[in-house]
Amino acid sequence: MNKSWKILAIGILACVLVIALTPYLWILLTSFKGRLDILSPDPRWFFTPTFSNYPEVFLGKDYLPLVLNSLIISISSTVLSIGIGVPAAYVFARTDFAGKEDLFFFFLTTRMAPPISIAVPLFMFFTALGLTDTIYAVVIAHTSFNLSLVVWMMRGFFAEIPREIDEAAMMDGRSKLGAFVRVVVPMAAPGMAATAVLCFILSWNEFLYAFILVAFEGRPLTVGIPGLITPHGTLWGQVAAVAVVATLPILVFTFLVQKHLVRGLTFGAVKG
Amino acid sequence: MNTVKQLSRGRFLLDRGASLPLLLPATLLVLVFLVGPFGYMAYTAMTDLSYANPDQNGAFIGLDNFRQLVRNDPVFWDSFWLTIRFVVASVTVEFALGFALAWLIWRFIERQRLLTTLLLVPMMLAPVAVGLIWRLLLQGDFGMVSYYLRAVGLLSQQSAVFSTPYLVMPTIIAIDVWQWTPFVTLIILAGLMSLPKAPFEAATMDGAGPWRQFIDIMLPLLRPIIALVLLLRGIDAFKEFDKVFILTGGGPGTVSELLSIYAYRVNFKNWNLGYGATVAFMVYLVVLILCSIFYKAVYWKSPVGKV
Repeated sequence: MNKSWKILAIGILACVLVIALTPYLWILLTSFKGRLDILSPDPRWFFTPTFSNYPEVFLGKDYLPLVLNSLIISISSTVLSIGIGVPAAYVFARTDFAGKEDLFFFFLTTRMAPPISIAVPLFMFFTALGLTDTIYAVVIAHTSFNLSLVVWMMRGFFAEIPREIDEAAMMDGRSKLGAFVRVVVPMAAPGMAATAVLCFILSWNEFLYAFILVAFEGRPLTVGIPGLITPHGTLWGQVAAVAVVATLPILVFTFLVQKHLVRGLTFGAVKG
Repeated sequence: MNTVKQLSRGRFLLDRGASLPLLLPATLLVLVFLVGPFGYMAYTAMTDLSYANPDQNGAFIGLDNFRQLVRNDPVFWDSFWLTIRFVVASVTVEFALGFALAWLIWRFIERQRLLTTLLLVPMMLAPVAVGLIWRLLLQGDFGMVSYYLRAVGLLSQQSAVFSTPYLVMPTIIAIDVWQWTPFVTLIILAGLMSLPKAPFEAATMDGAGPWRQFIDIMLPLLRPIIALVLLLRGIDAFKEFDKVFILTGGGPGTVSELLSIYAYRVNFKNWNLGYGATVAFMVYLVVLILCSIFYKAVYWKSPVGKV
């Protein structure tokens, strides 16, 4: 009896997996299809692959710099938000001061703010500074929303390191900051790596801020995607190639941080 | 435990002199680039600024925009209720499906790692890419999913999903469900894995069946995590923009014009920035309310923190 329930459960989960993965598989296949195979009214699962979509869009349509922009934006905003957020998280984990929890909540609201509400005034602000249409505008915007993720996640990781460790390091003659930099940070390194990867993913996947702040120069890959869709004659092979390049690195990264993913996605509330 | 806490409360490892330089950069950055713009938006919402009309050069008009929005803007209210319906429908379905899947995995699968990793794929894709993928799949002439929908009779021969108004929102909800159900599954599964064994063993000894155990033990124990999942998904769904922007752009007409899309249109298509700021402000307000419920209900002092 129990065994047949188990087979039923596995059957259901297998179907779910097929539904979850087939759409992605389809875009992967499409990126290797020629025009006729794509436009065929009955879906073609087997076809002679072509490798021309990738060079056509990345070299011919000059989408390669967009990949570079995406990389620069994601890496710099990750480095910045870790560099600024980790010390702040340490303070939240180790000291008490008036209004601490309010300040902490304030960091959360910045992460949760709807991009459309912040991006509009940010657009006017950067216009005044002459920074719209530059990569800096996007880096700053992404840093400010990733910062709160860092503060929230790292507070939890620091809280798990016993205070006695800091104290022991200070007994050994280190200053307070020395204990933090040389002893506590290395102990929190795995959590920090996971946080950094999550920041990278969120920045890489982000669309609305970048879409509003940069129109041409410095636009990342996500912003380049809508431009490929036209009312008539969209070249779906090329669109698919861009979509694959925009998503495959993230999937690889996901597998690297899976252990900490639950924690990151719930702002540290669930220690999965 | 309490005494230890009181002891360490007396002597801070970092005094104020050391904490300030560590805390300041983060606070400043958020103040300048998030609170600053927010304040500016609140101000702009009280002006008549418009790039489309040279007469409206940003004169201060007090709360006129808000009055207009609340009393005289049926498009805003349609969009508002559409968004609420979208949030309620997609989060409800995601929760029901996600919980069921998590339970199946927890109950029947021993080696979960590979399965959960593969399940994660939809939610880790950039939302723009998700929109793109489904736009291709649902193309009228050659979309793979359209083809099979027709084959089983769910879609008529000549029509396409996104040009049939009554199909648009259900389809968008279905796509959101496809993308975010794994999120619910993942977090509920983490909750199930951390459940204590003892209450279930005791209940089995007392002769309580699986259903009673589910209602009387499992659900109450999971309550904080359930609240967390619902709030996080609710907040996220309320802000939905990317997918819908790529899939339909809010159309046909305004059939799928969620609040974020409406705010985008007022600001960047009509260039009516004063009124646009008012709309954006209202979106922010709703999210802020949901957000403080999240904080009060599930964060630090709750049992969730100890899971």
